[in-house]
Amino acid sequence: MFREEYRKMNERIFPDQEIVNKVIESINKPHREANKSIALLRKSVAIAAVIAIITLTVTTALAANVPIVYQLMYAVSPSVAQFFMPVRKSCVDNGIKMEVVSAYIHDNTAEIYITMQDITGDRIDNTIDLYDSYSINRPFDSSATCELVGFDEASKTATFLISITEWGNKKIEGDKITFSVREFISHKRMYKDIPVEVDMGSIESNPPTMEVNPGGGGGRKYREFIPDYRRTANVLVPSDSMGFQIEDFKLTGIGYIDGFLHVQASIKRNMVGDNFGYFILKDKNGKEINCVCNFDFSVKEDDDIKYTEYIFEVPPSEIEQYSLYGYYVATGLYTKGYWQVTFPLEKQDLEDDEKNTISATIN
Amino acid sequence: MEQESFCANDSLESVINAYSNMVYRLAFSHTRDRCSANDIYQEVFLRYIRKRPQFETEKHRKAWLIRVTVNCCRKMWTSSWKKKIVPLDESIIFETKEETNLHYELQKLPVKYRTVIHLFYYEDLKVEEIGEILHKKPSTVRAQLTRARSKLKEILKEGYDV
Repeated sequence: MFREEYRKMNERIFPDQEIVNKVIESINKPHREANKSIALLRKSVAIAAVIAIITLTVTTALAANVPIVYQLMYAVSPSVAQFFMPVRKSCVDNGIKMEVVSAYIHDNTAEIYITMQDITGDRIDNTIDLYDSYSINRPFDSSATCELVGFDEASKTATFLISITEWGNKKIEGDKITFSVREFISHKRMYKDIPVEVDMGSIESNPPTMEVNPGGGGGRKYREFIPDYRRTANVLVPSDSMGFQIEDFKLTGIGYIDGFLHVQASIKRNMVGDNFGYFILKDKNGKEINCVCNFDFSVKEDDDIKYTEYIFEVPPSEIEQYSLYGYYVATGLYTKGYWQVTFPLEKQDLEDDEKNTISATIN
Repeated sequence: MEQESFCANDSLESVINAYSNMVYRLAFSHTRDRCSANDIYQEVFLRYIRKRPQFETEKHRKAWLIRVTVNCCRKMWTSSWKKKIVPLDESIIFETKEETNLHYELQKLPVKYRTVIHLFYYEDLKVEEIGEILHKKPSTVRAQLTRARSKLKEILKEGYDV
């Protein structure tokens, strides 16, 4: 069988420990430019309220003439914002405009502000998620990240900050990069901390179980429950309904198997495929306990119902001290298109008229 | 947009340890050479360390890592640097002749099919799950798998049941 041979062959493939160690060592290595970028992002979250106030208090002329992204930049860090130079290159597809607003090139790092605005509807909101569907093409070896840093309700504009760092410590000024996005998800509906009404004192200690072939999964103890050599797992036999449901997310089982608490949920698959939910336990002080392993499985082939088994490490003698809570995120809109902008990474003269105008207007 | 991590207590180190083999094997399945797989492995986790993304479930963390690995693999094939280099012959020692042969035969499989084959046959992901992660319709993934299987049957002369 090909599957078995392919699996056996892959078991011999793993990274050298030296490389793993090198990556782990890099976690705590100081990285000046990366830190600058992270600090900028952290500030952006912290001053979200400040941005809202700025938006309300700036003059109409300012709001009309200066893109919201400049307000965001100056609110985040005025000292850095003055170095961002306007780019103003845009692309419209499917009624949505993507614009490269400004860029700041320093040494081997480029920081670029990009906005996405729905000019025909209301598809963009503060839950927009590019879901790694974006691509940053550049002619040099580098690492790049893209983060949502702001959303302007009035103009329905989401602002993203892209950071690119060249790996060889070479200056990247003069190179061109292309940023493209193929799709995004928005209008997510989030349900958090929804209490699950189950009597934790009467959880079955010997529930009916069955063996399944797990699909994707994870968790701290995933490999203990599903080691490489074993491709099956014991799960609760799903019930039709146990009285807890958030949209398409249903509790279908709870019970102890081999001393571990199993909580099972079903979810209806959708075309977008980003709906997801999970459970957590909380003790009387509100301390959260996450599951140590979770994995998906199906009961019938080609079924549109996907089951997930969540396994918690709480002994039966202590379970009454905990309550179960459900979380669920449902995808609202899935928008496809092709937005692509190519622009040069250029430093501009600090005396540039437009930059001075913006600086003067904001300050 | 800050989301609660499903495994909030998991350190970067434990995530790297937990997903090292998965990322490396996926990168290797795509490149079929250790040198490139090493580069991709490092880039994927470098991005993870820099970005420190938060996930609501481990499934999402895994999907993110798979997707980033696939993106890094694609970038590698398009980079001008890659086009100019010849990878070092750092062979993997397989246990049996069959495994060694399979490794070399898989080098003949077009690159565009290698990811779906690996995710389907090794990660045991369903067509719909592969589609979700790669942002492709299930019908597209199914068609790619069919074409990949057909190619594999042409390539593998040992009579594997693909």
